[in-house]
Amino acid sequence: MAFNYDNYLRTNKMPTLWCWGCGDGVILKSFIRAVEKLGWEKDDICVVSGIGCSGRFSSYVDFNTVHTTHGRTVAFATGIKLANPEKHVICVAGDGDALAIGGNHTIHGCRRNIDITLILINNFIYGLTNSQTSPTTPQGFWTVSQKVGNIDPTFDGCKLAEAAGASFVARENVTAPKKLEKVIREAISHKGFSFVEALSNCHINLGRKNKMQSAMANLDWIDSITVPKKKWDALPEEEKMNKLPTGILKQDTEAREYCESYEMVKEVQQGKRGKITQDDFAKKI
Amino acid sequence: MSTREVISSGNDLAARAAVDAGCMFFGGYPLTPSSEVMHTISDLLPKIGGTAIQMEDEIAGVAAAIGAGMAGVRTLTATSGPGISLKAENLGLAQMCEVPLVVVNVMRGGPSTGLPTRVSQGDVAQAKNPSHGDYKSITLCAGNLEECYTETVRAFNLADRFMQPVFVLLDETIGHMHAKAIIPTAEAVKEGIVPRKTFDGAPEDYKPYGVEQDQPAVLNPMYTGYRYHYTGLHHDADGFPTEEIETCRKLIDRLFKKVDDFTDEIELNEEYMIDDADILLVGYGSASLAIKEAVNTLRAEGIKVGMFRPITLWPSPEKRLYELGQKFDKVLSVELNQGQYLEEVQRSMGRLDIQKLTKTNGRPFSPADIIAKVKEVF
Amino acid sequence: MSTVMTAPANTPVWVDTARCKACDICVDACPAGVLSMQQEPTSTLGAMISVIAPDSCIGCNECELSCPDFAIYVADKKEFKFAKLSKDAKARQEAIANNGFRLPTDYKEAN
Repeated sequence: MAFNYDNYLRTNKMPTLWCWGCGDGVILKSFIRAVEKLGWEKDDICVVSGIGCSGRFSSYVDFNTVHTTHGRTVAFATGIKLANPEKHVICVAGDGDALAIGGNHTIHGCRRNIDITLILINNFIYGLTNSQTSPTTPQGFWTVSQKVGNIDPTFDGCKLAEAAGASFVARENVTAPKKLEKVIREAISHKGFSFVEALSNCHINLGRKNKMQSAMANLDWIDSITVPKKKWDALPEEEKMNKLPTGILKQDTEAREYCESYEMVKEVQQGKRGKITQDDFAKKI
Repeated sequence: MSTREVISSGNDLAARAAVDAGCMFFGGYPLTPSSEVMHTISDLLPKIGGTAIQMEDEIAGVAAAIGAGMAGVRTLTATSGPGISLKAENLGLAQMCEVPLVVVNVMRGGPSTGLPTRVSQGDVAQAKNPSHGDYKSITLCAGNLEECYTETVRAFNLADRFMQPVFVLLDETIGHMHAKAIIPTAEAVKEGIVPRKTFDGAPEDYKPYGVEQDQPAVLNPMYTGYRYHYTGLHHDADGFPTEEIETCRKLIDRLFKKVDDFTDEIELNEEYMIDDADILLVGYGSASLAIKEAVNTLRAEGIKVGMFRPITLWPSPEKRLYELGQKFDKVLSVELNQGQYLEEVQRSMGRLDIQKLTKTNGRPFSPADIIAKVKEVF
Repeated sequence: MSTVMTAPANTPVWVDTARCKACDICVDACPAGVLSMQQEPTSTLGAMISVIAPDSCIGCNECELSCPDFAIYVADKKEFKFAKLSKDAKARQEAIANNGFRLPTDYKEAN
């Protein structure tokens, strides 16, 4: 008996529509193993996705699933979470989805520190729509919208999430599925906004003109640009800018979670406590 | 129905109606002249265990509200025209996924920033098709303070009956009008609540979108053992994306048929002094307050005028409008826009000789405007 | 319950070919030369995964973990006695990796 992934899959909707070798499937698997390890009921989980290849993530899992509009994943998830704060809400979005068109929702989900997990699948390109530049496409890469080479500076999703107030931030590669499973497990069981950047391959639409035409070539490149956080910390500054640290980058278990804060509002309005003041919060400005 | 007397504003009454109708979630963003809806409901909802959240933008406001609707609770957002423009794509998602939602739109002058603090009925055409694609809008329009309350209540019941967003159009005049209103008691409203249908058979037999061709989807609340998929893509009976030709055709046909075959449950009009009238005035919303006054004044002068007021703007009362078009030679359409509903009146009556009185300078009609126009054209 | 996860008798690693998209990743992940792509004209990419040396499988699970398509499965360590990583297995793996993830047709085991 092998691990029973099928228990969590809508097997009648498979195979997935992802290309051969696409890392999205590995992230899906890692997520399923994380859920199994935590022993969560399928009924207690809602997976919300946006538009792009990553948007199809939600359709294959046998949870409560929502495939929303481009970039709005976290905003939909906020309503879903607040309607049932005791249930688990996990968002899946791509780099274009969560950092470009939906950047604002990512920022404010992090800021509220609402108990939602955002798994950002970063494949460095708009894959579904055939290779347009994304906010994470490295400069100098070929894209179909910048055929002479991308000049746009890149976004570090983890730094953004950390600065915006997410209380859990991690990055991992699809080449390390066990580690990926571990950070997803830590993220989804974390109370507060958890952000996991899963670096993934798109040898079809990132790799085709950037000398990574096979899944393995693309995955090797991802390995070459990532370093575990401890090693990254020890790197000289000039080398840090060209490597992405992996592992758990931030874990704050003290930060106040939004649904819990909203309980204070209910208590005030129901006459169970006095008004909320600055004394209720550690941070004053 | 037992009633109560309150002193309130249109926006405040819409918020109170929502809560009395069982709304448990509000997601929105400040937008003049609708913000008071959020101001009131952000106090009321936490009192009863619900949630009101001011989101980071208009798009997020409606997305959060739809998310709560997907989870299974009655849900509201409120905004004005510019906000509807931003919310449009997600309103389309709610149409496609068949998620019940009430949208209170307090209309102001447009396009663009327009006249933010002034009145207009400029969002009537937008309400019919705010998003791309084919679907059937249900849009109610309050014509007085009482209706800010009663139409919002009706909107919640229609949203759950037809499983789709329902618009309640107010405008700056009526939203900010502060006066006495006689409205149903909260208990009476509660008794009239008809919640959405749910499926209680075996989960393996559950097909949320596998319904009769004239019926809305049956969407059980989340976390109740019936796991299914929402998508804005064309989808099959399970809610799973498909491009199968017949399934795609039937889905969009059903989104129309579920409304078209039951317009008698949606249509609501007011007919004021039309039985013996020679001249018919057609108007809605706050403009109807001035029209009614004009009818009374003109009749005192011996000119027999009546008013037809659609309270449900979409789907339009096309059959009744057709009958009235046969009966009246003299018809004047009165709106605070350049004639957005006039086209619907022309279409329904099958006539192009409808007179029009329009206004787009941000000021309400005075009865004198209407009296002068009637005397000028007839 | 689906039967895909149920181990066939005395089998360390097995494939659901209906799910496999022939991406080569599992072949690359295997340290023991257990897997190889083989020509398969009916498959979309003209190849299909094949378990060529089950006796060499060490049960490391790397193929299963890295398969994006839920197509390859490894038996539970409690239910199957796996091999130890041998020199032959390593050499076979190298030959496969250096030949476009296919076992060279003229490949001969050292022993």
